[in-house]
Amino acid sequence: MSSESRASSSGDEASEPYPNPIPKPPRINWPPSHWPRGYQEKRHVDEDDASLSWRKRKKHFFILSNSGKPIYSRHGDEHKLAGFSATLQAIISFVENGGDHVKLVRAGKHQVVFLVKGPIYLVCISCTEEPYESLRMQLELIYGQMLLILTKSVIRCFEKNPKFDMTPLLGGTDIVFSSLIHSFSWNPATFLHAVFCLAILMCKHKVISLNHLGHLNLSLQFACLDTYPMAFLYAYVHYLDADTYLMLLTTSSDAFYHLKDCRIRIEMVLLKSSVLSEIQRSMIDGGMRVEELPLDPLPLYFGSVRVFWSSHHQISSPRQQKRLYRAYQKLYASCMTEEMGPTKPSFEEMKTTFYYVGSPQDFELYAAFDPLADKALAIKTCNRVCQWVKDVENEIFLLGASPFSW
Amino acid sequence: MARTGNKNIQAKLVLLGDMGTGKTSLVLRFVTGKFLEYQESTIGAAFFTQVLSLNEATIKFDIWDTAGQERYHSLAPMYYRGAAAAVVVYDITSMESFVRAKKWVQELQRQANPTLIMFLAGNKADLEEKRKVGFEEGEQYAKENGLVFLETSAKTAQNVNELFYEIAKKLAKASPSRPTGIKLHSRSQQNSRRMFCCS
Repeated sequence: MSSESRASSSGDEASEPYPNPIPKPPRINWPPSHWPRGYQEKRHVDEDDASLSWRKRKKHFFILSNSGKPIYSRHGDEHKLAGFSATLQAIISFVENGGDHVKLVRAGKHQVVFLVKGPIYLVCISCTEEPYESLRMQLELIYGQMLLILTKSVIRCFEKNPKFDMTPLLGGTDIVFSSLIHSFSWNPATFLHAVFCLAILMCKHKVISLNHLGHLNLSLQFACLDTYPMAFLYAYVHYLDADTYLMLLTTSSDAFYHLKDCRIRIEMVLLKSSVLSEIQRSMIDGGMRVEELPLDPLPLYFGSVRVFWSSHHQISSPRQQKRLYRAYQKLYASCMTEEMGPTKPSFEEMKTTFYYVGSPQDFELYAAFDPLADKALAIKTCNRVCQWVKDVENEIFLLGASPFSW
Repeated sequence: MARTGNKNIQAKLVLLGDMGTGKTSLVLRFVTGKFLEYQESTIGAAFFTQVLSLNEATIKFDIWDTAGQERYHSLAPMYYRGAAAAVVVYDITSMESFVRAKKWVQELQRQANPTLIMFLAGNKADLEEKRKVGFEEGEQYAKENGLVFLETSAKTAQNVNELFYEIAKKLAKASPSRPTGIKLHSRSQQNSRRMFCCS
């Protein structure tokens, strides 16, 4: 990806109101090119808590141990932030000594969100006005990422030795964490708990999930899953082309050559049936668009149905897009506070634009309308889209599929 | 085409060493002839194959390029088990990576296949001005431990092909004593001929 597009996506700049809708928008590639593809710009390693630039950053994430040792910081050098980490640890233990738990501290525009996971403390300091629930979920995801890299056995290391230094074990994973943090703002999949799929799903009725993980070529990885605490899982990853890879999973460490044979056979089938070229075409075309919905021209500017489809063609700048994503995120948090999920469609008026979330049954629809749009008409539009989704439900959703039924 | 008198050898080769020493860059330089300024860290291990033809033999390398981070250390035996050759890589601009390389050599001497052919590669030889580990130091250590020593640069391609050719030559020389070679000869003439026809 170009350095230009990376620069435009960095930082958490304040958003601006939407300009008037553009009549004929350019076709934007999906996923947008400013999404991270495996790596991101280097962090500001020269900074520490004394630097003005560090203090001005809109969103900080920290991982530290319960003895106050820094493990990870989004910005700045962890070692130089030892004093700051100790302060965070002091706040947490001060409250814990009183028999309580600190969850959130508000200081002016800033929110400080705490998450305690045994000997690991996670803290987010943000002035992005994201809801508490969202920030907490982000900390949970960071913790999950950490466990995925190091497995739960690190917890035992802390039990044995509270002064255990975890930083060397995380060597080289900065990129993984910064990509994850980047996706909190840029990938609707992260903040709406959805999965993005290509339009090809719709025509082929097949599961094809694509992701960007950096270029691994051919490798045997391992992961220790939370649900299978005593087992190792090996993953064989093969890039079919620059953007598409095939991943085969096994519990046997000796299965490499067998998986390789399987991969060769699968690859042949994909090539012969031209599925691979179909995927490539879909990647270039991008996902489904609002224009493809069976609707008359209506003041619908952005629609996103959780789980399968998203379109953002009217949003021309990354900044506007981020603002819209933040609005959806807020809406999601306000609807999802109870464990029941959204019970009824809600309609919110936020400054200049209407946002709509509806959940007829198994899916959610997010849509944004022009501030001048008629409310009744907007709701009618959303209902029509919902009806259409229900009609083609079997083609666009994977009903009854359980990924871990083995 | 049948090459009479030419051996086909398939050999497992493993690269070990501290993170960021350039293991992946060395392999990519050898396999693809390219060099990336910013090579991403390897996750787990990466697998490559490359065929080298010498006068005396054709060698098919199965290359296991391991991840250098400490957290992957416990996986290493899985990759060096059964390897015919190992390249321990360090970065000439980092004394720490040289110390780590020595630990890898010790581990291999203790636990790997006793006939394993070991190479020591001091990579990033193009960064002469930042050098922390002297050529003599590497050479001396290699001599004491019976390793073949080379200073390489994946960036300038210095000694990269040489490294893999040296490995191939050593393997070709060592191969007559390999049990697989004997097995083929012990089969009946008819049987082995039929096998070649089918393939």
